Amino acid sequence: MAGTGTAHLRHDVVLSVTELVVEFPARKKQVVHAVSGVSFDLDKGETLGIVGESGCGKTTTGRAIMQLESVTSGSIRLNGVDLAAEQGEQLRQARKAMQMIFQDPVSSLNPSRRVREIVREGIDIWGQTREGDVDAWVAEVMESVGLGDEDVADRRPHEFSGGQCQRINIARALVMEPDVLILDEPVSALDVSVQAQILNLLEGLKRQFGLTMLFISHDLAVVKNISDRVMVMYLGKVCEIAETADLFSRPTHPYSRALLASIPGNTLGLPQASELISGELPSPLNPPSGCRFRTRCPHATDVCTSTEPELVEHEPGHWVACHHPSVNA
Amino acid sequence: MPLVEPGATGAKTETEAVAPIKGGNPGQKRRLGLTFWLSAGWIFTLVFLALFRDILPIRDPDELGIRTREVAKFESPGRNAFFGGDGQGRDMFARVVQGARPALILGLTVTIIGGILGSAVGVTSGYLRGKVDTVTTVFIDIALAFPGLVLLIAVRATFGNSMFVFIVLFSLTSIPGYARIVRGASFALSERDFVDAAAAMGATKRRIILRELAPNIALPVLSFAFIGFALVIVAEGGLAFIGLSLDETTWGKLIADGAGDIARHAHVALFPATVMFLTILAFNLVGDSMRALYSPREVATQRRLRVGAMADTGSGDEVLYIDDLFTALHTPNGDVHAVDGVSLSLKAGEALGLVGESGSGKTMILRSIVGAFALADVTRTGTVEVAGVDMLRAEPADIKRTLGTQIGMVSQNPLTALNPVRLIEHQITEPMLVHTSMSKSEARTRALELMQQVGIPAPERRLREYPHQLSGGMRQRVTIAIALANEPELLLADEPTTALDVTVQDQILRLLSDLQRDRKMAMVLVTHDLAVVKGFTDRVAIVYGGEVIESGPTEQIFSNPRHRYTVALIQSMPNLDLPSHSELTTIEGTPPSLVSPPRGCRFAARCPAAQDICNTTPPSTNEASEHWFRCHFPAGDDAEGAA
Repeated sequence: MAGTGTAHLRHDVVLSVTELVVEFPARKKQVVHAVSGVSFDLDKGETLGIVGESGCGKTTTGRAIMQLESVTSGSIRLNGVDLAAEQGEQLRQARKAMQMIFQDPVSSLNPSRRVREIVREGIDIWGQTREGDVDAWVAEVMESVGLGDEDVADRRPHEFSGGQCQRINIARALVMEPDVLILDEPVSALDVSVQAQILNLLEGLKRQFGLTMLFISHDLAVVKNISDRVMVMYLGKVCEIAETADLFSRPTHPYSRALLASIPGNTLGLPQASELISGELPSPLNPPSGCRFRTRCPHATDVCTSTEPELVEHEPGHWVACHHPSVNA
Repeated sequence: MPLVEPGATGAKTETEAVAPIKGGNPGQKRRLGLTFWLSAGWIFTLVFLALFRDILPIRDPDELGIRTREVAKFESPGRNAFFGGDGQGRDMFARVVQGARPALILGLTVTIIGGILGSAVGVTSGYLRGKVDTVTTVFIDIALAFPGLVLLIAVRATFGNSMFVFIVLFSLTSIPGYARIVRGASFALSERDFVDAAAAMGATKRRIILRELAPNIALPVLSFAFIGFALVIVAEGGLAFIGLSLDETTWGKLIADGAGDIARHAHVALFPATVMFLTILAFNLVGDSMRALYSPREVATQRRLRVGAMADTGSGDEVLYIDDLFTALHTPNGDVHAVDGVSLSLKAGEALGLVGESGSGKTMILRSIVGAFALADVTRTGTVEVAGVDMLRAEPADIKRTLGTQIGMVSQNPLTALNPVRLIEHQITEPMLVHTSMSKSEARTRALELMQQVGIPAPERRLREYPHQLSGGMRQRVTIAIALANEPELLLADEPTTALDVTVQDQILRLLSDLQRDRKMAMVLVTHDLAVVKGFTDRVAIVYGGEVIESGPTEQIFSNPRHRYTVALIQSMPNLDLPSHSELTTIEGTPPSLVSPPRGCRFAARCPAAQDICNTTPPSTNEASEHWFRCHFPAGDDAEGAA
């Protein structure tokens, strides 16, 4: 499984990530290979979903793009500007165009500040970034995330439910009119009914503001609902990247198939998950050679040990990194 | 507030259940209590006396009574002099009041200077981490290990006894203490998402420290400052006793002076000592009360289990029989009716899914069965029988035995469910050794069998390992093995796969289901995820607002949901069968308050089909039928079946 290969990248995109590597030092001079050569891009107005289980590197990828983790190698180009080459104040300026929503909506809000200050934070930091009345703009954003009530702005985060807190987080990000919005498990901490509200809200905002979103989640059904394209990750590598409908109707990488088959009550016509995946996730300190999924894959052969598979286009727009892809899904 | 997170998952679930009381503001409703006000009153009085000593009708503390004849030598406390006189006839009350001023000046300045400098060092070190933190921590450790007394003697020899020297010295020595506390607090705070969020907004480090961290550590620092204030007074008293104090008259000096005559004229030392003691106590108590403001643990109600009236008893062949169960949590904000008239029964080999959103009461039903309520004052009314034993009213020994032998529990977080410092083997054999007459070697053999049955590879080796050496899925298998150790008749699984990855979740659900069927156990599977109960349970009960609002065979609940809430819940789940970007059904509004539940249908306020009757009359239902629901205007097949 290898996300090596950049053949699938397109031109004229908002965000382009090439051969991203993020490694963390561990004890005894070991290295955690969190993200190992991941490439993808985001077109304007597109929503790309990243799915995978814990340890696959999806969150680290999002944080690295946001410059919250230091990038070991690779490039992140936002509107053509390479963020990895920028430093200090320049970098801070360059990434103004990206905003992030985190998993825990309550913890993401400073408990000691009022909603108004929180939502305005970006403007307070950057100064006025758009023409016209700032207060009217903030009010418009609050209105569009469903927090239009007058008294909301003067209250503090603990007075709100998880779903409302996530709306505040979204408003705070939108005030900056970001070119790219990175959402890391934005609905995992919410109840089903609230989750639906937030997903509908994001769809609406995407239309209203022309948002470009990177949506990171472990929940395949959620990702299917919101994404235009989906990327499956495993142990720091890209397995498969395709249009949402293609990926869910014809999952081709053995890991994607196992992942989809594991969804409770799945109706995709896949075999039982236990036939598609075995064993446990290997340590990211010492990932397997060749294809990283080979230790758990029912189809693995010698070539999987020796050679890392590259992303290959199976059908138009459907890229798979596997030596033995399952075409008969 | 952030500094003390609720540790146990249990506590968290309970707060969830209490959460719907919102509306009010729990932070501001916390009371400071009588001790706080008494202590604050004492401190206020001291400050008042120290400030206005000169204009109040108090004698000159230096006036010698043996000369003016106003106060006699060693006069006893009385009307003339409240605290009596000392060896030279000086009014002890005036002397004690005189001593308040240096105590307060020293305490206040040292606390402010030390607190501000220490906090600045601590917050910088805790937020920036890395080398800055390493160096600072080393300095703090050295400073804390440095003998302050030696420093004091050296400095005093050079610079004298002035207040200024003492302030500088005490401030310097108090910095490391503040720095360490603030560093720890900032370190924990900076891991919270709002700090990352601010960094992602492009906030500078300076701004993050000042705007995001500082307001959140202010209260803890303030509470520590009161305790630090007391420490300064203690330190001065100690130094005075060995003759190393200020030039001014201080309480420490008064005590030291009076100590010589303590056998015959105890009051001379006793009054300054008492005042000093009360002052130190007052500052400490104020500090502690303030800590209660940001520590959720401090306000939790005392743990208590009460039992109310009984409902019907079961026919005997049910493994689990719950009839008309009411569970109320008594909290400072009112009684939370977490379980409100729930009846359920399960026969051997049956699996029931208990589905609801957070705060619905589903976990509380489970807790009511086993009587486990962390930090809560609880009353349970009705009947809960497990294998024929009345879990509310039987002898404690019988309840304990039933818990140990008839009930197996699998919880949400396998890591906190397991003891991190004990071998897996001991954790599996313990229930057998406690509740059965099995020998150690028999228990070990059985543990090995169990490990194989729950699908743990290389069980021999794993038995000799600790929980942290296993993956999340393997840990959950271990907790299942522990639950099965005594071959229980009832398995209670509380969100057993919520913390696990989807491929692992699939394995664990299949394992639970296989074990339950093979062993003919009754199982209650509590979950927020409807998809999880599909395929793994025979029946489903939907929980909302503390009630079961619909119950029936799993297939029917999915194919023909009747209650409007069930319908909305199913439709709001993103579904793999739907195309991308489908608009999801949402449920507007928030769940009802469990403190004062609505009079009629609990879902009425959020229900698209609600009419007047829904707000006034609770829907009746025939709970004996296979598929029942509490709804005046049910959805589905025969929609005319209104009550």
